[in-house]
Amino acid sequence: MMKSFITLFFVLTFGLFVKAQDVLPNLHLENLDGETVALQDISKDGQLVVVSLWATWCVPCKNELDAIGDVYVDWMDETNVKLYAISVDDSRTVKRVKPLVNGKGWEFEVLLDTNGDLKRQLNAPTIPVTLIVKDNKILFRHSGYAPGSEEELYEKIKEFSK
Amino acid sequence: MNYSKFAVFVLLWTAFAQAQDYGQLSGGLESNSQYYVDDPKTGDFLEDDHFRTNNYLRLNYTFKNWFANAQLESYEPRALLNYYPKYEGTDLGTFAFGYKSQKLEVTVGHFYEQFGSGLVLRTWEDRQLGINNSIRGGHVTYRPFSTVQLTALYGRQRDGFEVSRGDIYGFNTELDLGGFLNFETTGLDFGFSYVGRYEDLEVENPNFDPMTNAFSARLDFSEGNFYASGEYVLKDDDMYQELGNLYEDSYFNGNAFLLNLGFAKSGLGLDATFRRMENMAFYSQRDQGQYGNNPFNQDVVNYLPALTKQHDYSLTNIYVYQSQPRLVFNPLPKAGEIGGQIDFYQRFKRGTVLGGKYGTKIAFNFSTWYGLDSEFNVTDKTYESGPFLGFGKKYFQEFSFELRKKISSKWSTIVTVVETYYNTKYVEDRTGEVDAFIAIAEATYKFGSSKSIRFEGQHLWSNDKDHDRAKNWAGGTLEYNFNSNFAVFATDIWNYGNPDEDKQIHYYSFGGSFTKGATRIGASYGRQRGGLICVGGICRFVPENTGFTLNIATAF
Repeated sequence: MMKSFITLFFVLTFGLFVKAQDVLPNLHLENLDGETVALQDISKDGQLVVVSLWATWCVPCKNELDAIGDVYVDWMDETNVKLYAISVDDSRTVKRVKPLVNGKGWEFEVLLDTNGDLKRQLNAPTIPVTLIVKDNKILFRHSGYAPGSEEELYEKIKEFSK
Repeated sequence: MNYSKFAVFVLLWTAFAQAQDYGQLSGGLESNSQYYVDDPKTGDFLEDDHFRTNNYLRLNYTFKNWFANAQLESYEPRALLNYYPKYEGTDLGTFAFGYKSQKLEVTVGHFYEQFGSGLVLRTWEDRQLGINNSIRGGHVTYRPFSTVQLTALYGRQRDGFEVSRGDIYGFNTELDLGGFLNFETTGLDFGFSYVGRYEDLEVENPNFDPMTNAFSARLDFSEGNFYASGEYVLKDDDMYQELGNLYEDSYFNGNAFLLNLGFAKSGLGLDATFRRMENMAFYSQRDQGQYGNNPFNQDVVNYLPALTKQHDYSLTNIYVYQSQPRLVFNPLPKAGEIGGQIDFYQRFKRGTVLGGKYGTKIAFNFSTWYGLDSEFNVTDKTYESGPFLGFGKKYFQEFSFELRKKISSKWSTIVTVVETYYNTKYVEDRTGEVDAFIAIAEATYKFGSSKSIRFEGQHLWSNDKDHDRAKNWAGGTLEYNFNSNFAVFATDIWNYGNPDEDKQIHYYSFGGSFTKGATRIGASYGRQRGGLICVGGICRFVPENTGFTLNIATAF
C-alpha cells in the first residue's frame, strides 16, 4: 500500500515539474443552435475569453453566472471579454439548459459538454470551474464560487485585457 | 500492466516530452478519504478498516494530432463504504491513445461515448458513484463533410479493473440536414444508431440469440424561438431474468420513445419532455441485469435517468424518484414507465412591478410518472402491453417552485417550495405511499470584497410511516466565505418528527474548504444519513456512518 502511494506522489510531483495544463484542449462542442464550435477557435486573434463550467443543478454555478450576468454588458464594453458558459449537464438535464439560459436572460455564449469530455480533459471533478483564456492559453483558473469573487475575476480580466 | 510498469512508462514519457519540448502533458489527481468512527447514536463501525481512500491519477498527453491518456486508480487499504467490490487495490483503470484531426478521430483503449440521448448507449465516469463503464476497444469517428459524422466502435465494458464478458458493437450517424439543404433559419438534424451486445451462454432454447440488437432514430428541429426533438428506440428480444435466475424460455423485446418541445426567448424559457420506456434495461453482461443483483449499476450499456428536477438541497433529496425502465414480474409486476416533466423559467426585468430594483427570477418544474398500463400473468411470466399512451399506477409526482430575488446590493435570497407524491411501494419495492411538502429559504449577505455569509433553513412535512425517515424533518446550513479561496460551513438535518425516538438523529456536519488555482482541499466531520446518493439520475446506496472526510483534487 505504502509503495503505491509513494509511486503515485512521485509521478505527480514529477508531472508538476513538467508542464501545467495551459491550453484549452482540442475539442468540438455544440452550441444551443446545434452548431459545432471548435474550442481552440474561441479565443484566437487575441480575443479574451472567460470559460465557465456549470450545470443547471449546481447552485453556486448559477449564482456565479447570475452575478456576472448582471454586469456582463459593462464587462464587454470595457474589456471586450466574452464569456462561454459550458454546461456539463448530461442527458437527464441538458434539455433544461436552453430554457434556463433564456429564462434568466443570460447573454453568454453557451456550449454543451454532454458526456463530460471537456470536464475530463480539464481534470475538474467539481464545478464551477472558471478559466481566463487568450489565444488558447489558460491564463487563470479558479474553482468554486463565493459571492463577490466575480469582482476579483474582473480585476484579472482587466489585467489580461491590457 | 501493473502500476509500477505504468509509472516507469509515464516517467520515460514525460522525460522525453520535456527533453524535446514536444507535446503537452497535463493531468489531475483526486483523493477522497474517510476515517469512520464509532458513534453512540448511530452505532459502532463494524466493518474492516476504519480508514479508507479512493484515489485517481489521470494523465493526458498530446503531441500535434496524437494523444494518449491513462488513469491510475488506488483503493487502499479498501474503497469507501459501499463501492463496487471489484474496485480493490491499485491498478491501471483506463488508458487510451489515438489520433484526432478535424475529419478523423481514432482511439484504441478505453473511450467514453454517447449516442443520442444515451437511450441506446452511454459510457461515462462518475467517481462519486463508483461508475466507470468506459469501453475498452477501438473507436473511429469520421467527418467526411461538415454535415456528416459517422462513428463505429467495438469493445468490452470496464468492470472493476477487468472487462465484462459481453462484446459491444456500435455504429452511429449524425446528419445535419438543415446544413445539407441550405436551410437558413431552420435547424434539422437526423441521427441513427445501432448497438449490439454479444454474450454467448450455454442455452439450448432455439429462441436464444447471443446477440441483442438495439436501434435508435432521432430527429431534431428548431425554428426561431421554437425547438423540438424526438427519439425512438427498439431493442430486440432478450432473455428474462429475475431474482438471480435466467429464464431460458422467456424472451421480451423493449422500446422507448422520447419527445421534447421547447420555446425560449430572452427572459422566458419553456420546456416539456415526454418519455415512455418498456423493458429498456440493457447490460453488457446479462447476469448484471438480474433483479436486485446489481446495486452498483455496473455494466450498464444505456443511460436511463429519472427525468425529474435534479434537486440540490439535503431535504429535497430524501424522496428521489428513480426511473423504472425494466420488466419484472416479482416482487411486483412492472413493465416500464410513462410520464414527463415541464420546466418554466422567467425573469422579471429590473424596474418593473414584479422585478423591483434588481429584477426577479422564477423557475417552476412539474413532473409526473406512472407505470405502464399492462396486464400481467405472473405465473406464466407473460404480459399484455396496453395502449401506447396507457397510464398505469402512479409512481411519482412533484411540483417545485423557486424564486430568486436580490433585495439590495448586499442581500440576495432564494425561496423554494416542493410538493411531492412518492409511491414507495413501486419506486422502492417496499410498502406505503408518501405525500411530502418542503420549504427552503436561503439568504446571502455580502460584505467587503468577497466576504459573505449564507444561511439556509429547510423544513419537510410528510406522512411517511417508514421509521428510517418518518414524518417531519428540519434542517439548516450556515456558511461563511472569508474570501474567494477559503470557506467554512456547518449543517444539520434532524428527523425530529420520527415516532421512534432513537431515530430522531441529528445528521450534522461541519468543515471547510480551501481553493487555490486548480487545487481544492476540503475537510469535514459529521454524520451521513443512510440512503441514496444520486448524481445525474443514477444512485448509490450509502449506509449510515460517522467520520472525518478529506477530499483533495488538483489539476496540473
